[in-house]
Amino acid sequence: MEDYDVRSAASILASVKEQEARFEQLTRALEEERRNVNLQLERANLPPNPSTSQPIPWQQVVMQEQSPSNATSLAMMQEPQEVVEETVTIEEDPGTPTSHVSVVTSDDGTTRRTETKDLTSNVKVTKMVKTVTTRTVRQVPLGPDGLPLPDGTSPLGSYTDSIDRRYMKNGGDRFITPQATSTLTRSYNNSYNDSYGETPESQYVRHYGLHDGYVDLADNYGSLSRGVNFRPPRYPYMPNSYRPENSYTLPIRKDDYGHVAQPQVPMGSSTVDLNRSQPERFQPEPYGLEDDRRSLGPEEEEPYELEPDYSTANRRTLQGANRGRTHREPLRDGPRVRGYADDPIEAELIDERHPYIHGMYSAPLAQPERGSMASLDRMGGRRSPSIDSIRKDPRWRDPDLPEVIAMLGHPIDPVKSNAAAYLQHLCYENDKIKKDVRQLKGIPVLVGLLDHPKSEVHRKACGALRNISYGKDNDNKVAIKNCDGIPALIRLLRKTNDMEVRELITGTLWNLSSYEPLKMVIINHGLQTMTNEVIIPHSGWEHEPNEDSKPRDAEWTTVFKNTSGCLRNVSSDGAEARRRLRECEGLVDALLHALQSAVGKKDMDNKSVENCVCIMRNLSYHVHKEVPGAEKFQDPSSLQAPGSAGPQRKKKDDAGCFGGKKAKEEWFNQGRKNGENDKNYDTLDLPKRAEPSKGFELLYQPEVVRLYLSLLTESQNYNTLEAAAGALQNLSAGQWTWSNYIRATVRKEKGLPILVELLRSDSDKVVRAVAIALRNLSIDRRNKDLIGSYAMRDLVSNLPSGQQRPAKNLEEDTVVAILNTIHEIVTDSSENARSLIQAQAIEKLVAINRTSQSARETKAASHVLQTVWSYKDLRNALTKDGWNKSHFQPTVTATPKATKNGKPGYDDTTLPLMEKNQDGYSTIDQRDKDCKYKAGDGSVDLTEREPLKNDTNRKHYIRSNRPAVSLVDACDVKPQPVDSWV
Amino acid sequence: MAFTPGQPVTAVVQRIEIQKLRQGDNLILGFSIGGGIDQDPGQNPFSEDKTDKGIYVTRISAGGPADEAGLRMGDKIMQVNGWDMTMVTHDQARKRLTKKNEDVVRLLVTRKSLEDAVRQSMTRP
Repeated sequence: MEDYDVRSAASILASVKEQEARFEQLTRALEEERRNVNLQLERANLPPNPSTSQPIPWQQVVMQEQSPSNATSLAMMQEPQEVVEETVTIEEDPGTPTSHVSVVTSDDGTTRRTETKDLTSNVKVTKMVKTVTTRTVRQVPLGPDGLPLPDGTSPLGSYTDSIDRRYMKNGGDRFITPQATSTLTRSYNNSYNDSYGETPESQYVRHYGLHDGYVDLADNYGSLSRGVNFRPPRYPYMPNSYRPENSYTLPIRKDDYGHVAQPQVPMGSSTVDLNRSQPERFQPEPYGLEDDRRSLGPEEEEPYELEPDYSTANRRTLQGANRGRTHREPLRDGPRVRGYADDPIEAELIDERHPYIHGMYSAPLAQPERGSMASLDRMGGRRSPSIDSIRKDPRWRDPDLPEVIAMLGHPIDPVKSNAAAYLQHLCYENDKIKKDVRQLKGIPVLVGLLDHPKSEVHRKACGALRNISYGKDNDNKVAIKNCDGIPALIRLLRKTNDMEVRELITGTLWNLSSYEPLKMVIINHGLQTMTNEVIIPHSGWEHEPNEDSKPRDAEWTTVFKNTSGCLRNVSSDGAEARRRLRECEGLVDALLHALQSAVGKKDMDNKSVENCVCIMRNLSYHVHKEVPGAEKFQDPSSLQAPGSAGPQRKKKDDAGCFGGKKAKEEWFNQGRKNGENDKNYDTLDLPKRAEPSKGFELLYQPEVVRLYLSLLTESQNYNTLEAAAGALQNLSAGQWTWSNYIRATVRKEKGLPILVELLRSDSDKVVRAVAIALRNLSIDRRNKDLIGSYAMRDLVSNLPSGQQRPAKNLEEDTVVAILNTIHEIVTDSSENARSLIQAQAIEKLVAINRTSQSARETKAASHVLQTVWSYKDLRNALTKDGWNKSHFQPTVTATPKATKNGKPGYDDTTLPLMEKNQDGYSTIDQRDKDCKYKAGDGSVDLTEREPLKNDTNRKHYIRSNRPAVSLVDACDVKPQPVDSWV
Repeated sequence: MAFTPGQPVTAVVQRIEIQKLRQGDNLILGFSIGGGIDQDPGQNPFSEDKTDKGIYVTRISAGGPADEAGLRMGDKIMQVNGWDMTMVTHDQARKRLTKKNEDVVRLLVTRKSLEDAVRQSMTRP
C-alpha cells in the first residue's frame, strides 16, 4: 500500500515533475512567444531592423505584398501563418483607441495563459498578434518623431533596393527601368508626376490609390524627402519615365502649346490643387480603402492575369518564407480582396484562405468614417500607415478605363474627383483614350459631375471634359453636347467663383465652339452668361460708368481669353449667330472697351485682343443689312435699284454657296453707282447724335475707325492686323449711310497710308485683307483717287512677275484680291490706269494673263487689262511700250477650272457644264480645302473673314481666304465650293 | 428626314457600289456633291429640311460610273465606305470619295422616293 503509495507518490511526484517540466517548457515557450511578440511590436514601433534574425527576403516580400509601410507589414508577416483565422479583429479595430496596442499585448499574455495547453494557442496568440500589428501600424505614425514614418526610412531604403531589383527581374516588362531605383527613392515626387505623362494606364494606382498619401503628404513633398522614400518600392518602374518635375508643371507646358487654343492641362495642375486643398480632403483612411473596393469590379475576373508581374515575386517570397501555397494565393488575390465584400464568391474564398487580408482591408470599408483612425492620423502626422501600405502594395495594378469610369460614380467624393482627374490625365493628348471614354459612356457621367456641390469634384470633372473636348474628334464634342454638357457648363460658370474652374469651363467651351454644329447651341445656352460673367467684368466696361472713378482697364485673364475665343468661334456661325451676338446686352460695348483699353495701354499683341478684334470683325460683317433699322440708312441711290434693300435683299443674302451670284453683281453695280455719289462725301458731316450710341450701333460708328487704325499701326500680331483690316473692309462695304461715313473717316483719320503700308506685310492674309479693304474704300471716289496715286506701286509689287513669284510668294487668293482691287481702282479712272501703267504693271499683268497656272488669276488679270485697254487715250502710250491689242485680250486657253481641283478637265469633258444653270452651282472650288476645321480648337483661324460684299452667308468662313469678288466675272471668284465633282 | 446634329439619323437607305473609272491618273465617280456642315444648308435644293447639312448628290454625269450604279441626283449620302457623311465638311466628303487608293466606293444613300415608298408600304395594312 505504502509501496503503492510510495510508488504512487513517486509516480505522482514524477508526474508532477514531469508536469512541472512540461509546464516549464510551456512557460518557456510562452516566454519565447511573448518575447517574440514583443519584438514584433517593437519592430513595429521602431524602424524595422534589417539585421533581425528574421529572414530578410521574407520581410522584403512582405513589404511588397502588404504595404510598404515597413512596420506594419513586417509585423504581419512574421506572424505565424495560421493567423489566417483572424477575421474578427478587424471589426473591433475601428472603435479601438490608439492605446489599444498595449492593451492588446497584455491581453495577449492572458490569452496565452489560458490557452497554453497546446500549440493551437499559438494560433490564438498569433491572432492577437495580428490585431496588435494592425494597431501597431497605426501607431507608427504616432512614433516618437511624430513625423510620418520617418523612422522606417533608413531600413526601408535598403529593402527598397532589393525589392526594386526583384521587380525588375520579375515584372521586367512592366517596370522597365531598374537602374533608376535609387533616384526614385530620393525623388519620388518627380517620378510620380512624370510617369503620369508617360504610361497613363499603369499609373492609375499611383494617383488614385495614393491619393490619400498624396494629399496628406503634400507638405512632405517639397520639404520632406524622407517621406518620399516610402513610396519607391511601389513604383520601381518610375525612373523610366523620369523627367524633371517641372516638366510637369503647368506654366511650362502651357507654353509649349502656345499655339493651341486650349491647352490641355496635364495632371500637374491637379497635383497643385491637391496640395492646396489638402486640409479639406483629409479623409485618408476611408478613401484609400474605398478605393480598393472599387477594384472589385466584375472586370477583374482574372486577377492572375492582371498581375502577372507579381506572381514570380510572390512565389519567391513565399518560398523564402517557407510558406505554403495558401499564402501565395492571398498575395495574388490581393487586388481583388478589397472588393470581396461585393462579391460573395470572392468573399468566401477570402474568408477561407486569408482572413487576415480580409481583416486588414475590409475593416475600413465597413466603417469608412472611423473616428479613431482619423484622430490617429492627425496625431500621427497626417498619414495613415494602412493607407500607405495600400499605396505601396505592389499588388496594386493600374485600373483600366472602365474601372476609372465606374469610379466616377463612386459614392465617395474624393474617389470621384480622383477618377476624374485621372481621366483628365489619361486623355491628355491621347485621342484614343478620349474615344474610349466616349464609347464607354464616360462623358455623361463627367457632365453629371459638373453639378456636384463639391468644388473638388466638379473641378476635376471639368478638367477631364476640357481635355476630352480638345482635338479633332468632333464626336467627343457632340457627345458632350448630347448629354447637355453645354448648359451644365454654363450653370457651373454661373455658380462658381473659383477662377480655376472658370478657366476650365471657358476652356471647354472654347474647345466645343470650334465645331460648327455646336456653335448655335453655345449661343443659345451661354452667350449672355459668358458675357455677363466674364466678358463684361474682365473688360473693365461698366454699364453706368462712375464719374469719379477712372475707367477700368481690361484684364487679360485666361478666362477672358478663353471666353473671347469661344465667342470668336461662335460669331462665325452665320447671320443668326451674328444677330444674337450683336444683340447680346453689353457684349459689343465691353469688347470695344477692352480694345480701347488695349490700345491705350499699347498692349495689343495678345490673344485676347486678337479674339476681340476677330469678334468685332465678324459682327461687322453685313451690318448694313443685318442690323435692325438698317433700311433707314440705306443710301438713297441704292434704294432706287429694285430689290436692293429690304426683305428681298435679305433673301438674296442667304444665297450662300448654292447661288447668289446675281445679288453680288447687283451689289457691285450699285457700288459703282455709289462711287460716283461719293464725290459728295468729300466733305462729310458726320451725323450728330442725341445720345451716345450703345450696343451694336457701336460697331459701325465712325469712332471705331480710329480704334482699328490704331491696331493696324501698333499691333505685331498678324491675326489682329488681318482682323482689324477685315473689320474696316466689312464696315466700308455696305451701301448705307454708315459705310459712307466710315470710308470718309478712314481717309480723314489718315488711315489710307497705314493700310498701304501694310501691303508690304510679310503676312499673306494681312496683305489680302488690306487689299480688299482698299478696294472697298475706293468706292469713295476721293479714296479711289488717293489710292490710285499712292497705293498702286505697292499693289503692283505684290503681283508675281512673269512666272516667278515675288519673294513673298503670295497665295492665289491674295493675288486675285490684289488684281481685283487694282481693277476697282482703274475702273472709271483713266488717271489711275495711267498710274498703273507707270507702275510697270502691264508686263506683270500680261505675264499672269498668259502664263499663270491659276484660272482665277488669269481671269482677274485679264479683266484689268481689258479695262486698261478700254481707255483709248492710253493706247498710244501702251503701243509705244510695245504692247498691242492682243496682249489685252483674254487668253483663249484659259485652263479649265477643274484644274484647280487637281482633277484636270474631267468635268469639262465628260459632263455638260452646269455651273451656270442649276441653282447656280458652280463647279468646283478647291478653296474648300481651307474649310478644314482647325480642330485643334486652336480656333485661331476659325473666324469668318468676309469676302467683300459677296452676299453669301456661307458658312465656310474659313475659306475666307477668298478674295473679293471680281467685278467683272463674279462667277469665277465666286465663293461657293458647294459642289464638287468626284 | 429630320436631322439634328449629334443625333442618330434614321433613314431608309440603299447601298450603292460604284466602281471608279480610271482616266489617266484620275479616278472618276461621275457625280458631284453639294452640302456639308460648312455650307449653307438653306441653299440646298434637294433637302426637305433646310437645316440639313448633309452631303447631297447634285449632279450625275450621264453614263458615268455613278449613273450606272444607280445613284440619282438628290440622293443624300449617308456613308462612304462606312464613314459617316452626315456630319462632315464638304471637303471632307470630297476627300473621302476621291481616295486615290480606293477603286470602289460603297455608298449608303437615302432618297426621298425611297422614304416615301417605305412610308407608304408601312401605312398600308
